[in-house]
Amino acid sequence: MKRFDIVSLESPNRAPLRIEGFLFGEENTEGPSIAIVGAMSGDHINQLYVASGLVEYLRIKEEEGKISGRILVIPAVNAYALNMGEKNWPLDKTDLNMMFPGYAQGETTQRIASRLFETLKGYDYGIILEGRRDQGMCLPYVKLIQSGYEDLECVKDLGMGFIHYRPHEPVETAMLQYNWQLWETKAFSIVFGKNGSIDQNDTDQVHTAIVRFLSKRDILDFHVFEGHKSNILDPNRITIVKASRAGIFISKVRCGTAIKKGEVVGVIMDALSGKKLEKMLSPCEGIVTCQYAHPLIFQNSIAFRIASVELCCQIDAKRE
Amino acid sequence: MGLIEEVITIELPVGESFRIQRCRYAPKKEEGIKRISIVSGIHGDELEGQYVCFLLGQWLRNNPDKIRGIIDIYPAINSLGIDSITRSIPFYDVDLNRIFPGSKNDFLPAQIADGVVNIMKGSDFAIDIHSSNVFLREIPQVRIAKSQEEILVPLANLLNIDFVWVHDAVTVLESTFAHAMNTIGTKTLVVEMGVGMRLGKAYGHQLLDGLLNLMAHEGILDIEPLAVRMPIQSHVGEVAYLNAACPGLFVPAIEHCQVIEKGSVVGHIVSALSGEVMDEVIAPISGMLFTIRAYPIVYEGSLLGRIFGKTNGDSQ
Repeated sequence: MKRFDIVSLESPNRAPLRIEGFLFGEENTEGPSIAIVGAMSGDHINQLYVASGLVEYLRIKEEEGKISGRILVIPAVNAYALNMGEKNWPLDKTDLNMMFPGYAQGETTQRIASRLFETLKGYDYGIILEGRRDQGMCLPYVKLIQSGYEDLECVKDLGMGFIHYRPHEPVETAMLQYNWQLWETKAFSIVFGKNGSIDQNDTDQVHTAIVRFLSKRDILDFHVFEGHKSNILDPNRITIVKASRAGIFISKVRCGTAIKKGEVVGVIMDALSGKKLEKMLSPCEGIVTCQYAHPLIFQNSIAFRIASVELCCQIDAKRE
Repeated sequence: MGLIEEVITIELPVGESFRIQRCRYAPKKEEGIKRISIVSGIHGDELEGQYVCFLLGQWLRNNPDKIRGIIDIYPAINSLGIDSITRSIPFYDVDLNRIFPGSKNDFLPAQIADGVVNIMKGSDFAIDIHSSNVFLREIPQVRIAKSQEEILVPLANLLNIDFVWVHDAVTVLESTFAHAMNTIGTKTLVVEMGVGMRLGKAYGHQLLDGLLNLMAHEGILDIEPLAVRMPIQSHVGEVAYLNAACPGLFVPAIEHCQVIEKGSVVGHIVSALSGEVMDEVIAPISGMLFTIRAYPIVYEGSLLGRIFGKTNGDSQ
């Protein structure tokens, strides 16, 4: 294992920002290469945990002679934010994952992104461990955006239950996944957990999926059990349950729960009087993939996203 | 007196509602007339637009007989942010001006964006007033994507601003309010002026004259067009960026909006700890310093200023 600084940036008063990388396998190996990027935001603790867990796991596997490719793990991109409970770059609040491919002569976070991206270019595969961009939590899923260079087949080797495969939004053209794909790395994101926390079950699932991917792609010489045959989702297969009222939100289900149409999934209470304002019913049969994760909910917020059996059947029937 | 309405209301969890308010001024007969939306506070730490809204409202209250179109004033789009010195949408920490046109079926900030587009849909014009951020001080300017140059530059020239900056469109800017509105046919100008968390009275009055002039030209106000300044056009020159070469405390050597010569000193980056001057910031071209850093702490790469100079290097 080689531990090294990918970026070192002096601060006016703090100790320098260091983005550290952990490299496994022979540098000049002919085997496939992969880079795994952990916490880009200061609240991506699940992602930090999975990445640092992988470093320790791969260190042992390397000692056992099991690594046949080249693996780079970067557990924390934004250590400055992690160390002070901030989400974004602490000075100007810019999101590092909105700065790619970076610009070497630009603003501070553009320079950080540029230096990081220089290191990430050229890998065969790229995994970005992402948290959610809202106040939700979700069943771990793969996010694969359509840039024209994405590779859906390789993503299936993770064996995860759901792959969210959809066109990219304008804002995503400044994100790592899109740019990494444009530079011909088979890049995708794994989105999981609730920001600011560690979910042992979710992080275990993601760890296992990554190990499975490494094994199936001949990067790691290690037997793994088969995972799921992935369901490919897009926004048209998801039903949304919104909060018609604001207040205290009590969820009655967990992400991953299979639910029936009409089943109670959540309750909203008036935060002052305690009166029950809304009983939220599932409009369809399906699986809860995401849910709102803060105890106080805003009116019209999305409380649940449900992978709908009915919508999937309709879309698949049309295709046939 | 204008009609004050809550045009977007969303319940908050504990005994309060998020709201966007509008003050509408309209003539008695509203058919077949033009409509303009004056927008401020998409970023909660930018307050120059609030002052412009006040000045315009004050003028309209004093001159109701001059109104020939619908004038909608939205002083505080991110009302939660403005009242709490928060640039983004509080709670979600999301930049509202990066999620337009928004969606009814997405999280709260996207729903706000969707609501904003829908209430302003049908306006002939929108003026989106920003004040840079807390880091940079700007002269009054309008920024226009190159694809919109032909339609929007003539309109921007009416606004009594100092500079029209036509830039190459970046895809991420497709997520802005201005792009969303221009896409649906509302001619929308983005004004940047001043600095975040502060207001400058002179800039406010300057833009007020520009707004009155634009509305006079478009028949929204029954007044004579004002004698306004013709802004410098970016296509006649180039913009040079001054980025910090090292971290430290930036101490400017010259005032904002000065004409400077190539090679002159713009400022210094100093170390508060050692007492050393770490770097001397030198103007790479001659021209007008139209942006200068207002917040002194800098990292490597922090933007210290921008100079606009003629392509041949001559000052303006």
